[in-house]
Amino acid sequence: MHLDLTEEQKLIQDTARDFAGSELEPVAAALDSGNDRTPMLANLKKLAELGFMGLNVKEQYGGAEAGVVAFSVAISEIARACASTAVTLSVNNMVCEVIQAIGNEEQKTKYIPKICSGEYIAGGFGLTETGAGSDPSSMTTQAIKDGDCYVLNGSKIFITSASYAGVFVVWAVTDKEAPKGKGISCFLVEAGTPGLIIGKEEKKMGQHASATNELIFDNCRIPAGAMMGKPNDGFRIAVAELTGGRIGIGSLALGIGLAAMDYATGYSTERVQFGQKISGFQALQWMMADGYTELEAARLLLMNAAWRKENGKSFVKEASMAKLYATESANRACYKAMQMLGGYGYIQDYPIERFTRDARVTSIYEGTSEIQRLIISREILRNFS
Amino acid sequence: MKLLVCIKQVPDMESRFKPNSAGTWYSDSDLAWRMNEYDEYAVEQAVRLREQLGDSSELTVLSIGPDRVVESIKKSLAMGCDRGVHIQDPAIHEKDPWQVAGIIAAYAKEQGFGLIFTGMQSQDRGSAQVGVTVAELLQYACATTLVGFAFDNGVVTAKRELEGGIKGVVKLPIPALVTCQLGLNVPRYPTLPNIMKAKKKEITPIAVADLLKEAPLVQTTSFHPPTKKGAGIVLEGDVNGLVEKVIGIIKEKTAVLR
Repeated sequence: MHLDLTEEQKLIQDTARDFAGSELEPVAAALDSGNDRTPMLANLKKLAELGFMGLNVKEQYGGAEAGVVAFSVAISEIARACASTAVTLSVNNMVCEVIQAIGNEEQKTKYIPKICSGEYIAGGFGLTETGAGSDPSSMTTQAIKDGDCYVLNGSKIFITSASYAGVFVVWAVTDKEAPKGKGISCFLVEAGTPGLIIGKEEKKMGQHASATNELIFDNCRIPAGAMMGKPNDGFRIAVAELTGGRIGIGSLALGIGLAAMDYATGYSTERVQFGQKISGFQALQWMMADGYTELEAARLLLMNAAWRKENGKSFVKEASMAKLYATESANRACYKAMQMLGGYGYIQDYPIERFTRDARVTSIYEGTSEIQRLIISREILRNFS
Repeated sequence: MKLLVCIKQVPDMESRFKPNSAGTWYSDSDLAWRMNEYDEYAVEQAVRLREQLGDSSELTVLSIGPDRVVESIKKSLAMGCDRGVHIQDPAIHEKDPWQVAGIIAAYAKEQGFGLIFTGMQSQDRGSAQVGVTVAELLQYACATTLVGFAFDNGVVTAKRELEGGIKGVVKLPIPALVTCQLGLNVPRYPTLPNIMKAKKKEITPIAVADLLKEAPLVQTTSFHPPTKKGAGIVLEGDVNGLVEKVIGIIKEKTAVLR
C-alpha cells in the first residue's frame, strides 16, 4: 500500500501549481467577469506546449504518457486557480483519449498531435442533445451513408470549447431501426466542414471563460473514413470514455473546493469580530474540519479511481463514486467558505462567489449526481444477483 | 565542455518553521520542499549554455542531501540537464559551508568542469559562501550575483548587480564558477514529456563519506524564532502634542531628523 505520489507525479503537480499560480490565477477573475477570453486561449496554448493536453496519451501521438494519477492532480491544481481553464483541459484530454482508444492509426496520427501541441486550441465532445442528456441513447442526430460519405443532420447542445475547437468527436444515429443504443456510431468532424455550424453560446452561471455552444449539422458531409470504431458501436464507446472524464471533473471540483476552503481559512485567521480572530470560534473551526475532511476523502476516492484506471483495473464504480463525492463535497465546501466570509463571501471583490458558481455545474455535467448513483448502485447490485 | 550546476533543496519559504529537537536547525517534518530559487536561475542558465554549445557539451546537476533531493535533481534533468549526481547525506544541514564546499570540490576536482553554476545563496541558510569557496578550492575564476551571462570563445562575460542597482560587467576565462541572482533569466517550466523522459537519465549516487574530508570551521549553536517584540508605542492626546512627541521619537530613534 503506497499512498504517496511518485517523484514524476509530484513534479507534474508542482509544475501545474506553479503555472496556475503565476499565469492563471492573476487573470481568472477578469476572465469570469469579462467577455474577452483571449488570455485563457493564450494560456491553453502554453499549457499544451508544456504537455497538459495529453497527460494519459502515448508519446508517439505527442502525449506526455504521464498516466491518470498525474492527470488527476494536474487538473486539481489548475482548477484551484481557474475552473474554466481546467474544464477545457479535462475535455481536451478526454477527446485525445477517445481518439487514442478507438481511432485507427491514420485518425490518431492526424488529430491527437494537433490537440496535444496546441495547434488545435481544443477538441470538442459532441454527445448531448436537447432531448438526450442523462439518456444519450435517445439522440436523434442522424448520419446517413451516401456513397463514400456520411451526411449528418441534427444538433448537439452544451458543447464545451465549440467556438475554438479544431475537431469534434460526434455521435450520431446510423441505424434507426436498431434497438436503443445499438444504432449509434462515432465520427470525427473537423471545424470548418461545410454544414457544421457553431450555434449560440450559452449564458451560464459560472465557468464563463469556457465556451459552451450549440452545434448544428445541416447536411454536413464528411468522408466515410471519419467514422471511428465499428459502425453502430458508438454508444458503448461514449459510455466507456465518459467514465474516464468523470475522474477529470471530480478532480476539477476538488481543486475548486480546496481553493475555497484555503481562502476562507486564511481569511478567518485575519478577520476580527467580538475582539478576536474568527478562527477562534468553534462554529468556524467545525466548518473547516468538515470541509477539509470531506475534500480529503474526495481526494482519496479520486486517487483510487485514477490508480485503478492507470493499472488496467475496472474503475466504473470507483470513478462514479469519486465524481459524485468530490463534486458534492466541493459544493458544500464553497457554501461553507462563503458562510465563513459572511457578506464578503457574496461580493465579487472576493473569489468565493466565483468558486461557488464555478463548482455548481460539476455535479451536473459529465453525468449528474443522480446518474452517478444509478451507476454505483447498478455495479453494487451486479454482485448480489 | 563539461558543465556542472549545483542545486540545493530547501523548504517552501512560506512554511511555519519550528526548531528541531537539538535546537540547531529547523524541524524538517511537515515541510514542502522545492528547489532553491537562486539555483533555478543557475539551472536555467546552465541549460541555455548547454543548448548553445550543443552535443559537444555535457551538463551534470549535483545535489547533496537525503533521498528527497532526488526530486529536485529530476526537475533539473527535466529542464535539460544530462545527468545527475546525488551525494547522499541525511545530515547535510549539520555541515557548515566550508564542509559543503569541500564535498562539492572533492567531487568536481577530477571531473575537469569548464564552468560551474551555483545559486547566489540558499534561501534557508543564506551564507552565500558555498559557490565562492568551491571556486577557491578548485582555483577557478569566480564572479558572483550574476544578472547577465554570455559565453563565447572560452570567455564568460558576466553582468553583476552592485549596490543601489548599478551594474558592472566582468570577463572571466574558463575554468570559472558563477553564482546566479534573481533577474538573470526566467526559469522554464519543465514540460511533462521531459519530466517523464528524465526517468531514463542517469543519477549517480555517491556516499558523502567518500567526499567529506574537512572538519567544520563554524558551528551552529542555536536556531530560534526572534523574541517577540513588545507592543508598539500608543500615543494619546491632542494633535499638537502628538506631533511634538512623534518628532521627538524620530530624532531619538532614527537618523531621519537630527
